[in-house]
Amino acid sequence: MLSRWRPYLLGIAGLAALTFPFLWLQLAPNFTNDTVGVTWAPMHGLQFFGDLSPVFVIAFLIWLGVQLNRRFGWDQALAANATWQQAGRAWTHYWAWGTVPLVLSCTFFFSASSLSLFTTVGIYMLLALGLNITVGMTGLLVLGYAGFYGFGAYFFALAQQNLPYFPWWMAAPLAFFFGGGVGYLLGLPCLRLRGDYLAIVTLGFAEAFRELMRNLSNDDTDSASHSAFLQGLAHIFDTGGDKGIILNESAKFGHVAGLTGGQLSYLITALVLFLAVFLVQRLYHSPVGRAWMAIRENEVAAAAVGVPVVQMKLLAFSLSAAVAAVAGVLYGAQNGYVSPDICAFRESIMVLAMVILGGLGNTYGALLGAALLDLVPEYLKLLPTYISGSPTLSSIVPMFVRDSLQNLSDYRLLLFGAVMVLMMLYRPQGLLGSRRRKTEMLHK
Amino acid sequence: MSSGSTLTEILINGISRGSVYALVALGYTMVYGVLGMINFAHGEVFMIGMFACVYAMGLFSVAWGDHIALNLGLGILVAMIFSAGYGYANERIAYRRLRKAHVLAPLTSAIGISTFLQYFIFLTVSKEKVNFPRFYSDFLTSHHVHFIGVDITYLQLAIFGLTLVIMTGLYVLINHTRLGIALRATAQDQLMASLVGIPVDKIIAFTFILGSALAAIAGVMVAMYTNVLVFDAGYRVGLKAFTAAILGGIGNVPGAVLGAMILGLTEALTTLAFGSEWDDVTTFAMLMLVLLMRPRGILGERVADKV
Repeated sequence: MLSRWRPYLLGIAGLAALTFPFLWLQLAPNFTNDTVGVTWAPMHGLQFFGDLSPVFVIAFLIWLGVQLNRRFGWDQALAANATWQQAGRAWTHYWAWGTVPLVLSCTFFFSASSLSLFTTVGIYMLLALGLNITVGMTGLLVLGYAGFYGFGAYFFALAQQNLPYFPWWMAAPLAFFFGGGVGYLLGLPCLRLRGDYLAIVTLGFAEAFRELMRNLSNDDTDSASHSAFLQGLAHIFDTGGDKGIILNESAKFGHVAGLTGGQLSYLITALVLFLAVFLVQRLYHSPVGRAWMAIRENEVAAAAVGVPVVQMKLLAFSLSAAVAAVAGVLYGAQNGYVSPDICAFRESIMVLAMVILGGLGNTYGALLGAALLDLVPEYLKLLPTYISGSPTLSSIVPMFVRDSLQNLSDYRLLLFGAVMVLMMLYRPQGLLGSRRRKTEMLHK
Repeated sequence: MSSGSTLTEILINGISRGSVYALVALGYTMVYGVLGMINFAHGEVFMIGMFACVYAMGLFSVAWGDHIALNLGLGILVAMIFSAGYGYANERIAYRRLRKAHVLAPLTSAIGISTFLQYFIFLTVSKEKVNFPRFYSDFLTSHHVHFIGVDITYLQLAIFGLTLVIMTGLYVLINHTRLGIALRATAQDQLMASLVGIPVDKIIAFTFILGSALAAIAGVMVAMYTNVLVFDAGYRVGLKAFTAAILGGIGNVPGAVLGAMILGLTEALTTLAFGSEWDDVTTFAMLMLVLLMRPRGILGERVADKV
């Protein structure tokens, strides 16, 4: 019995030893002679685990579900049932069209704050959809996707700053073409190579673009260090540095035909999303999509049967860059504000986590992943206020649970990291993935 | 750095920056050489080394008082052990089970580990920058050697010397020892290597451990040089070190050092010409140029694709 658990016990002991100082000790800098000490801080570690306790409960429930399913075989029973299968097929056939009026009618039934949250979710869905084209369908890793998102947003913001009239509906199609162009130029040198160069180049691009936007500012305090060229550039394109750009009223989503700005932004985002889903799905089931799939499964074999590998990879990459740029314009038009933070590395990681969670290569999976990773933390944050508002709930739920729910949103990225690792190890096909995709992911 | 000609100063500054990148780049290049995969969590292992050293020095100073050399030396040792432990854990969790999987799978899990570690330190240690205790770095940063008109600090000398020693050591290890033969055999063909009795799993774990221990040394050096520890330090230095490894030809030990030196010098020149905030932009421009003109890197040889 012990021998079976030995590797796990050793692993846990090792991880406990490795994380010991960071969890249970705290640095105590000594300012008199600039040295350092540590103090024993057990509350620190307990707080960490306490804040994560809801996650442990959820993880335990998932584990329990998996074990029970393995014992009773529910999924097989469901799959074997002909009625269910037929219903499922009919549903997948019609549901996509059915959701269109449903989603669009939400415009008139929800409060402004809900609509603004849904718009944000829609923008992330658009990003996940775009990233899914490269990462999921073509099998190319992109780590700086937020760079293109930022490109779209800054393209819009800088253009409306310099032109007297430049609203979102002019910016979106232009951003699509320019974003695609940037993707094409960026992909050209590295997509001809095999391996993971694209991942690093896009990562570098996002970081370089962010730095460029942070530094191209007119009122920079140390502008003496800038060369004349950079000063001239900052004069035309003033990004405002870290403070960002506040957009003109005329560029944003405004009152149109009795709709408020919030309603319009929701409606437009939803329409763009539907259009994008439709186009991407048609493309995926076309010869182009087949070529992407072939490249994903085996690049050499794909080239051998005549797939123009480089062109197809470039197409996938430019298209996903273009989608991100459009998402950037929508972001700018919704919030009326653009700052360098939107192309931070953590945005790229968030979108990647969405695609992986939902299922690499599955369009609806990407949408589901975006909805989950956006809405769950948001509602977890709202849950404590909701509990305190209701007298029955606040008497049942103890205070520390409410506190840990409140703190949980800080742990978002930590959990995304863990989700990425666990998904790759146990369910590489994602939530909505097929068994075929799992085999593909686990064997070269 | 007040006296001396500017050009020599830039040269010295660039070389010491480059040496730090080289120490981190060696870890990337070794793992790539053996597994053919980028170790995305390497930068975070570097960052863990920084923090582990400060924690260890704090503990020792509480235990037996402030002895500069003893605490710093033991601190570096503890940092190496901790980083090696994290590197090994990374290999066991993110890489070993996915070694036969599609390329995307281990890359994604390594990015997961890297994000996890960053935010683990962010949440448990500090959300802000932490200062390296000057008490320990003062001796190295305030004493100078006068050399062709410029002052070089002991720390810069130490960084450069360590890089040279470690590069030579690694070169000898890989090319002239039995372990090196096993490493190269594993890199060429894991199945055949295991058939002739090479413990492939252990060799790969060893690569991660060695690379991580080197990253810890680099971490402590950077912490002393910049005086700042921060949870995303690994991501920034990691990106640059990786660029350096590609620049020199990834999988190639002298190449990584050469690439890192070129990168360090370019950055120092950028700082002079445009200001230090343009570093990342030049780094990126360099990366694109190299990929366009010499995709295998400066010292990289052309290798046929394995099917």
